Amino acid sequence: MSARSMNDPEMDELLRKALADDLPAGVAAGMRDRIVRFRAGKMDEGATSTAGAWYFRRSVWAALSILMLLAGILLQGGRSSSPLSERISEIKTEFVNIETPRR
Amino acid sequence: MTATDKSSTRGHAALRWLVAAVFLAAAGASGAFSGLMNKAGLLYLILGTVAAGLMGFSGREIATAFRQAAGQVGRAESLGKSAYFWEAAARNAWILGALGSALNFTIALGTPSEGIGETSSRMIQSFIVTLYGLVLAVVCLVPAMRLAGKAEKARLKGVARPATEDTRPSPVTGRTLTPDRIIGYVLFAAVLVLTIFFLVGGQPQGGPLPIGKVLLHGPAILIVLGGSIALALFMGAGAGARAWTLGFAMTGFIGLLMGLIQALFGFAHRNIAEIAAACAFIISASSLSLLGLVAVAAPLEDREVMDGRRDGPGALSRLFWIVFPLLTFIFLILTFIMVVTPMVKPGG
Repeated sequence: MSARSMNDPEMDELLRKALADDLPAGVAAGMRDRIVRFRAGKMDEGATSTAGAWYFRRSVWAALSILMLLAGILLQGGRSSSPLSERISEIKTEFVNIETPRR
Repeated sequence: MTATDKSSTRGHAALRWLVAAVFLAAAGASGAFSGLMNKAGLLYLILGTVAAGLMGFSGREIATAFRQAAGQVGRAESLGKSAYFWEAAARNAWILGALGSALNFTIALGTPSEGIGETSSRMIQSFIVTLYGLVLAVVCLVPAMRLAGKAEKARLKGVARPATEDTRPSPVTGRTLTPDRIIGYVLFAAVLVLTIFFLVGGQPQGGPLPIGKVLLHGPAILIVLGGSIALALFMGAGAGARAWTLGFAMTGFIGLLMGLIQALFGFAHRNIAEIAAACAFIISASSLSLLGLVAVAAPLEDREVMDGRRDGPGALSRLFWIVFPLLTFIFLILTFIMVVTPMVKPGG
C-alpha cells in the first residue's frame, strides 16, 4: 500500500465501503493510526490551551498584586489621609493642647 | 474497655467540666473581675470561634471531637484528628481575640467622645478581648493535649476500632464548599457585622465619621492584599494553604514594622499627621492580616489536614498563628502609647 493511500481519507472511506465485510489489515491499521494521531493532536491542543490560560491568569494576578503593593507603599509613604488617621490626628492634637498650659 | 470503664471515664470528664464551669461562674458572680467585662467582646469571641470552626471542619468532625473530648474512645487516627480540631479552636480563639482588640481599638478611636479620658479608657477596654481569646484558647488546648496523648497511646497499643465509631470517610473532600463551611462563613460575617454594630451602638452618636470608612485604611488594604497574593503566587501550588498563612502573616509583619518606622520618623520630624497615618496603618494592616489568617488561610489548612492531604499544619504556620496575634497586641499597645504621648510642636 502506498504512502498516499495511508494519508488519504477519501481513499480510506472508499476502501471501507468497498470492502465493508473484509477490510484488509493494513487499511484497518492505517485508519486506527489516523484516529490515534487525530485524538492525540486534539488532546495536546487542549492541554496547551489550559496551561496557557493558567499561566496567563497567574501572570495577571502577579502583576495585579505587585501593582497593589506598590500603590499601597506609595500612598502610605505620601501620608495619604484617611478618616482614621484624621481622627488619630485630632486625638493627638487634643493631648498636645492639654500638655501645653503646663509648660 | 468495658462498659463500666467507659461510663467512669465520661463521668470523670463531666465532673471536671462541671467544676470548671462552677469556678468560672463563681468568679464572674463575685464581681472581682467586673472591670474586665466586655459583653460584646465576649459574645463576638465565642460566636466567632464557633463560626471559624465551621469554616474549617464538617459538622460530623466537630461532633466526633466533642464526643471524644467527653471520653468516647476511638482509633489513633480519629483521636488525632479530634485533637487537631481542638488545637484549631484554640488557634482561632487566640487570633480572634487579637482581631477583636484591633477592631475595638479602631472603633474606640473612630467614634466621637466627650474627652480624651474617655477615648483612652475605651482604647484600654479594647485590650480585654485579647485576654478573653487567651483564656478561651487555654480552655480549648486542654482537650487538645489530652486527645493528642490518647492518640499517641492508641498508636503505640494499636487499639482495635470500637463498633460504635463512625468510620465512614468524609463525603466531600478537597476544595468543595460544603454547606457546613458556607454556614460558617455566613455566621462569621454576621458575627463581625453585629459586633461592630453593637460596639458602635454603645458609643455616643452624631460624629462626622462613618464607621465603614474608619475601619478601612486604603494603603493597608492594598499592601496586605497585594503582598499576600504575591507571596502565595511566588510559593506556588505545592505549598498549598501554607502559602496563604505565610503570605498574610509576613505581609502583616512587614506592615507593622513599616508603620512603626514611619511613626518614629513622625516623632523625629514632630509631624502629627505622619504619626497618625502610621498608627492608622498599623491598626488596619494588623486587622486585615488577622482576618486573612482566620478566615482564609486557617480553614484551608484545616481542610488539608482533615482530608488527609497533610499530616498536620506546618511548623512555620503554627509559629505564625502564635506569634502574629501576640505581635499585633504589642503593636496596639505601642500605638496607644504613641497616640497619648504628648508632643511639642516645633516652636511651641
